[in-house]
Amino acid sequence: MTAAATVSGIGRPRLGKALPGAVWALLLLTPAFVSLASVSFYPIINGLYLSFTNTSLITQENEFSGFSNYVQLWGDAQFWNAWWHTMWFTTASTILETVIGLGMALILCEAFKGRGLVRAAMLVPWAMPTVVTSKMFGWLFDGQNGIINYILLHAGLIDQNVNWYGSPDTAMTTIIIADVWKTTPFMALLLLTGLQTVPNSLIEAARMDGAKGWITFWYIRLPLLMPTLLIAGLFRALDAFRVFDLVYVLTGGGPADSTETLSTLSYKVLFSTLQFGYGSAVSTAMFVTEGIIALAFCLYLIRQIRRAQ
Amino acid sequence: MTDIKKGPVSGSKPVAHVTIADRRQFLIGIAGLLGAATLDLGTGLGVRRARAQSRAEISFASAAFFGKETFGDLIKAFNESQDRVLVKNIELPPPSSSTEVYQGLVQQLARRTGTPDVFSQDVIWIAGFAAAGWALPLDEYFSADKRSAYFSGTLNACTYDGKLTALPWFMDSGMFYYRKDVLEKHGGKVPENWADMATIAAAAQKAGDVDFGYLWQGKQAEVLVCDAVEIITSNNGAILAPDGKSSLINHKAAVDAIQFLHDTIATTKISPQDVLSWDEEPSRQPFTSGKAMFMRNWSYVYPIAQDAKASQVVDKVGVAPLPAFPGGKSSACLGGYQLGVNANSKQREAAIELLTWLSSTETQHRIALNFGLAPTRPALFQDEKIKTEQPFMASLEKVFTGATARPVTPEYAKVTLALQSGISKALVSGNVQAEMDALAAQINQIVG
Repeated sequence: MTAAATVSGIGRPRLGKALPGAVWALLLLTPAFVSLASVSFYPIINGLYLSFTNTSLITQENEFSGFSNYVQLWGDAQFWNAWWHTMWFTTASTILETVIGLGMALILCEAFKGRGLVRAAMLVPWAMPTVVTSKMFGWLFDGQNGIINYILLHAGLIDQNVNWYGSPDTAMTTIIIADVWKTTPFMALLLLTGLQTVPNSLIEAARMDGAKGWITFWYIRLPLLMPTLLIAGLFRALDAFRVFDLVYVLTGGGPADSTETLSTLSYKVLFSTLQFGYGSAVSTAMFVTEGIIALAFCLYLIRQIRRAQ
Repeated sequence: MTDIKKGPVSGSKPVAHVTIADRRQFLIGIAGLLGAATLDLGTGLGVRRARAQSRAEISFASAAFFGKETFGDLIKAFNESQDRVLVKNIELPPPSSSTEVYQGLVQQLARRTGTPDVFSQDVIWIAGFAAAGWALPLDEYFSADKRSAYFSGTLNACTYDGKLTALPWFMDSGMFYYRKDVLEKHGGKVPENWADMATIAAAAQKAGDVDFGYLWQGKQAEVLVCDAVEIITSNNGAILAPDGKSSLINHKAAVDAIQFLHDTIATTKISPQDVLSWDEEPSRQPFTSGKAMFMRNWSYVYPIAQDAKASQVVDKVGVAPLPAFPGGKSSACLGGYQLGVNANSKQREAAIELLTWLSSTETQHRIALNFGLAPTRPALFQDEKIKTEQPFMASLEKVFTGATARPVTPEYAKVTLALQSGISKALVSGNVQAEMDALAAQINQIVG
C-alpha cells in the first residue's frame, strides 16, 4: 500500500506550485472559517433574523414582522425588570469578586509554607459544577434548617429565622453571595498571574526608597496590574451577565420576579412558551447589552494603555 | 492483511498447490454462496415486508414513567396481544423534565409527518396541541356513552373548543394531608372549610403539637398555579371566564382566595414564610418529619409518609379532599398524562386501536398496579385487587371527583408564566387586589 502511494505521488504535479501563495493560504483557512461560521456566525445571524419574525412553534406562525418584537420588548415590564436584575447581579458580583480576588492574589503571591497546596485548594469552588454549588447554597441558606440561620441566630444577629430565598429583599443578595464564593478563585488566579509579571526589581527599588507596603501596592503593583485587572473584570462581567444555573436551581426567578435575569427570562420565553421570535429578541437585547459592556471595558483599557505609554 | 498472506504459507500443504482450475472452482463456489445469501436475504426481507403489510406500523411517544415495568413493556404487551398493529415505542425524558418532554413532542408534531401516531401529554398541553391542529378530534370514535366511564374533570381537561381532543389515561391531583393523631386532640373532625382549617391549625400550633399549621407551595413555579386554582375554585371563582377569552382573577372570589393564602403567612401565621420559596419537596419534608399539621400536596407523598425509613409519621397520616370556602365546593388541581392521536397520522384506525387499548379498563388496571398511577375510570376504584394492593389509591376517588383543570387555553404556557409572577407578587407584597388587577390585564392581553 505504501509503495503504491509513493508511486502515484511521484507522477502527480505538486499542488503548491500550481496555486499562487495567497490562494493557497485562503484554501488552508477555509476549514477553520467554515467550522467557525457554522457554529458561531450562523447562529448569531439566524437568531438576529428570528428576532424580526413572529416565529412560534405553537401558533405555527413564521413571518417577517419588522421591529414589532422590539417595540413589544421596549414596553415589556418583565424584560426591564430582568434587565435591571441582571445589571445589578453583574455589577455587584464583578466588583466583589475582583476586590476579594485581588486580596487573595496578593496573599498567594507572597512566599509562605504550603503555598502550592493553598493555591490548588483555592480552586476547588471554581472547579465544582454550578448546579452542585447551587444545591449546596440552597441548603446553607435554607430558611428552616440552614446553617447560616443557625449561626446568625445563635450569634444574636437575627431574632428569628430569615427565609433567604423566599423574600424579595434577600433572594438576589443570596445568589450573589453564592456566585462570589464560586467564582472569586477564578479571579484570584487571573490576578495572580498578572501580579507575577510585575518585576520584582521595581518593588525592591521602592522598598529601598523607604516605601511601605501600601504605597508599593498603590503606586507600583496596581498600575502595572491594571490591564490584567480590566481584562479579568471584562471576562467576569460578561460571564456574570449570562447567569442562569444559580437562579434556575435556587429560585426559578421568584419570589415576585425578584431574581429573574435575562437568561432565565429568555429560557422561559424560548423554551416554555416556544415563542422563538420574541425569545430571540430578548436574546438579541442581551447580546447588545453585553456588547456595550465589552465596548466600555475595551475603551477604558485602551485609554489606560495609551496613558501608560 | 498480513494474516491472510501468512495463511497459505503456514497453513496445510494442499492449499499451497493451488491451480488455476481450483481457483476458478473456488470462485464459482463463492459466487454460489453469495447468490444464495442474497436470495436468503431477499426472501427474509420479503417475509418481513409481507408481515408489515398485514400489520399497520405506528409509533407511540410518551414521557418515561416506570414502576414494576416500563411503558416499553406495555407496548410490547400490546404488540403481542394482537396481529393487526405493530407499535414502535419512542421514549421521551421522564416527567420530572416536563419542559424537555414538551419540546420533544412539539418538535415532532410540528413537522406534521404523522410521527408519533399516538402520544401522551400533560393536561396543560392539550389545548395548545388542539389549537395548533396537531391533535385529532376523537368525538367520532368515543361516544358519549364510552366517555361517561371517565371522571368528568379529566374529560373537561381533555376537551378543547367543544371537541374531545385527548383521551383520559391516568391522573393525579392536589389533596389535603392531615395528621390523624394531632387532629384527635383538636376535635377529631377533618375540616371541610378553610376557616375551620385555619382555626385548628392555629390551635395545634399554639398547643405546641406541631411547628407549622398548614403547608402549601408558594414558590414562583407551576405548582403555585395549582395551589391557586384549587383555592380560587373552592370559592366559586375562576382564573379564566368560561369562554377562555378574559380573566376573572381580579374578581372578588379569586382575590379573597389569594388573600387567604397570604393571610396564612401574614395574619393567622399558620404557614411559615418559607412556603414562598417552597415547591413540592421542601414542603413535604417538614410534614413527613412530623412538624406540620396539614399540608396540600400530590399523591406521591403518601408512600413516603408510610415509609419508616423516610418518615416519622407512619400510620399517622390521613388524606381528604381540600377544604372549601362557605358556599364553595372542594377542588383539586388536575395533573397526569392523557392520550392523543396525531392529526397527521396516516394510520388512524391503528392509532385508535392502540388508544382504546391503552385507556381500557384492563390496561388502566395494570398501570395502577404496576406504575402506581391512578386510573381515570371511577369504576376501577372499586376494584378488589387495587383496593388490596394500592389501598391509598383506592381511597382517592372522592378527591379525584373534585379534580379541576387548570385554565384551558392554547396560550397556557404564557398564561402560567404571568400567573406565577403575578400571584407570587401578591403573596409577597400583600397588595392582592392591585396585583390581581395588573395580572388580569396582562392575561386579557394574552388570551383576548
